[in-house]
Amino acid sequence: MSGKSRRDFLKTSAVIGAGVAGLSTSTVKAAPKNILSEDRMGVLVDSTVCVGCRNCEWACKEAHDLPAGDLQSYEERSVFKDKRRPGTKALTVVNEYSSGKNSNLPVDVKVQCMHCDHPACVSACIVGAFSKEENGSVIWDTDKCIGCRYCMAACPFQVPAFEYDKAINPLIMKCDFCFNRTKEGKLPACVNICPVEALTYGPRTELVKIARERIKRNPEKFVDHIFGEHEVGGTAWMYLSGKDFVELDFPQLGTNPAPGVSESIQHGIFAYFVPPVSLYALLGGIMWITKHRKELDEEEKS
Amino acid sequence: MKKGLLIFFLFAISITVTAQQNLGKDHSKSNITCKTCHVCDVPTKDDPCLVPCPREKMKTVYESPDKTVDVVSLEELSKKYLPVIFSHRVHAQMSVMSGGCGTCHHYNTSGPIQSCKNCHQTYRNRDDISKPDLEAAYHRQCITCHREWSHGTNCNSCHSPKMDKKGFQKEEAKKKVMGKVHPALIEPDKIVFETKYEKGKMVTFFHDDHTKKFKIECTSCHKNETCLKCHDVNKASIEKSKIVKAQKSLDEHHKKCFSCHKEDKCGSCHLNKSAEPFEHGKKTGWALNKFHVNLSCAKCHGSKMPYTKLDNKCSSCHKAWNNETFKHSITGLGLDETHSQLNCEDCHAENNYTVKPVCSNCHENYSFPKQKPGKLVGRK
Ligand code: SF4
Ligand code: SF4
Ligand code: SF4
Repeated sequence: MSGKSRRDFLKTSAVIGAGVAGLSTSTVKAAPKNILSEDRMGVLVDSTVCVGCRNCEWACKEAHDLPAGDLQSYEERSVFKDKRRPGTKALTVVNEYSSGKNSNLPVDVKVQCMHCDHPACVSACIVGAFSKEENGSVIWDTDKCIGCRYCMAACPFQVPAFEYDKAINPLIMKCDFCFNRTKEGKLPACVNICPVEALTYGPRTELVKIARERIKRNPEKFVDHIFGEHEVGGTAWMYLSGKDFVELDFPQLGTNPAPGVSESIQHGIFAYFVPPVSLYALLGGIMWITKHRKELDEEEKS
Repeated sequence: MKKGLLIFFLFAISITVTAQQNLGKDHSKSNITCKTCHVCDVPTKDDPCLVPCPREKMKTVYESPDKTVDVVSLEELSKKYLPVIFSHRVHAQMSVMSGGCGTCHHYNTSGPIQSCKNCHQTYRNRDDISKPDLEAAYHRQCITCHREWSHGTNCNSCHSPKMDKKGFQKEEAKKKVMGKVHPALIEPDKIVFETKYEKGKMVTFFHDDHTKKFKIECTSCHKNETCLKCHDVNKASIEKSKIVKAQKSLDEHHKKCFSCHKEDKCGSCHLNKSAEPFEHGKKTGWALNKFHVNLSCAKCHGSKMPYTKLDNKCSSCHKAWNNETFKHSITGLGLDETHSQLNCEDCHAENNYTVKPVCSNCHENYSFPKQKPGKLVGRK
């Protein structure tokens, strides 16, 4: 916003905001691509198999051009002292929990975007940057993303992270299901490296069958629950566990798709008889301008 | 209906064939249908038509660790890694007390031992995702135990670091492991269990006696031990005698003891202090000599519990001993030629060896040990 006063900015925003408010949704909130294909892919994470080697963390960073460091340094287990969350520097993290049975065999759980079948982030994104692709991935278009963080608020798993530390054009980051790799027929980087194949990549319908079969064959090893099979309407990434999922910090969610903030924003607005579209439009307008202003600034600078 | 009958008929035939060939007791005990292991309807000895992986829980494979493969070089994935030189025999020896061969050779039919790659594909990007690929199959078998006692998941404990590639000599590496056996286990002499039983908190278990004297097989108690029972990088070496809190359930603790100590009262094991080791001399008034002390109790007392008092006449047990079969020098006195011809009871009246032998049957005024029927040779 260099060179312009705050008042100037607000003035312009208001004018444009009022303008856009009158337009139809499609202009500002483009209808997102939201495909729920029969053959969509998924990953079954078997937390009873995961050994917490964190190779997946390393591979994920490597595949996404994030500073990854030396693979051997991931053998360090002191990181498990704190529970970590996926962020802008690591799109997936592994956390460790006590098994309650054998202190030498803890439970390790990999966390990343769940790639929901009815993704709240997709519905929340006001510029239609997010999409659910045919292969099950929930990805977003960085060129469209305006950094409004609605997806963050909407996601029931608190996955999308925001580049707060980036002064210029901060954007959203999350696991993209290695969309660029799977497009070429490669496995997601984390699935590819996992030494014990705690992560099984395959058609979601088949994974559900495999998960059921594993529980059936080893009922004393697993809790009888496939996390993600029905949660928030189903997710592409699903988990098996030997321990109650709540104890592994999984949120307790219903089977209805997309609860969360986006809904409550809408409800709140309806209560005051303001159609949400106009609010989205207003907010979207503001964000869009800011983004372009910044881009212009950058262009001017360079 | 017809089809059903046919299937039943074939099923019956296959049972008969199996029974006729008497393929071992596992077969008859297995609570499974033929089709679990055999693809065809009538498997024969020459063509058992085994499925590679029945994926049912069965304990079938057993090979004595001493007879099994010594070293295996795992190199199916050597494009990615240097071969892993796996000390199969040492691991087989360890498995004896921790689940047996089936721990790794799971889902094996009772036929030949299948190699992992018969079921586990070598590519991760594959169609059949119902079972892990080969790399994962190997790792699951190894890392789960290795991380339990090493508290880490370091690749280098099995994989030679890649930079060694040029210098890596497979045969050399194999030789280093070849012939290796598991070192002798260190057994504790005794373990004192601290229990919750009010009237007698301490139960002293003489581990040594049970294995050495009673000759109880290790595996009759230790069947499914974790690696950690012996191996842990953080654990000091096994103590010879230790006090532990009884943690298992009442049943689990008692079950093993009760298989022999059926008639014992609570108080025979539960005391208020740790028990003194059993001494035959103190308890029965008949101290065991150096030969007897090494025998298992059952050798004299028989296997029936509780043990009963025996008489201490040598001939009660050593029925076959006579002047020809008994080497007298073992007593420290070697008989001369004349005396070695005599019957035992000629000197040892009424076969009583606890009293002085008599010479007066032949020699007037002779008495042992002043006069001797041979030469002192020293006790062996
Ligand atoms: S987990 Fe969150 S970010 Fe991922 S698809 Fe679901 S709603 Fe979107
Ligand atoms: S799927 Fe790709 S982006 Fe997602 S956690 Fe795995 S490696 Fe990272
Ligand atoms: S690579 Fe596999 S085993 Fe290792 S931490 Fe990740 S999911 Fe777990």
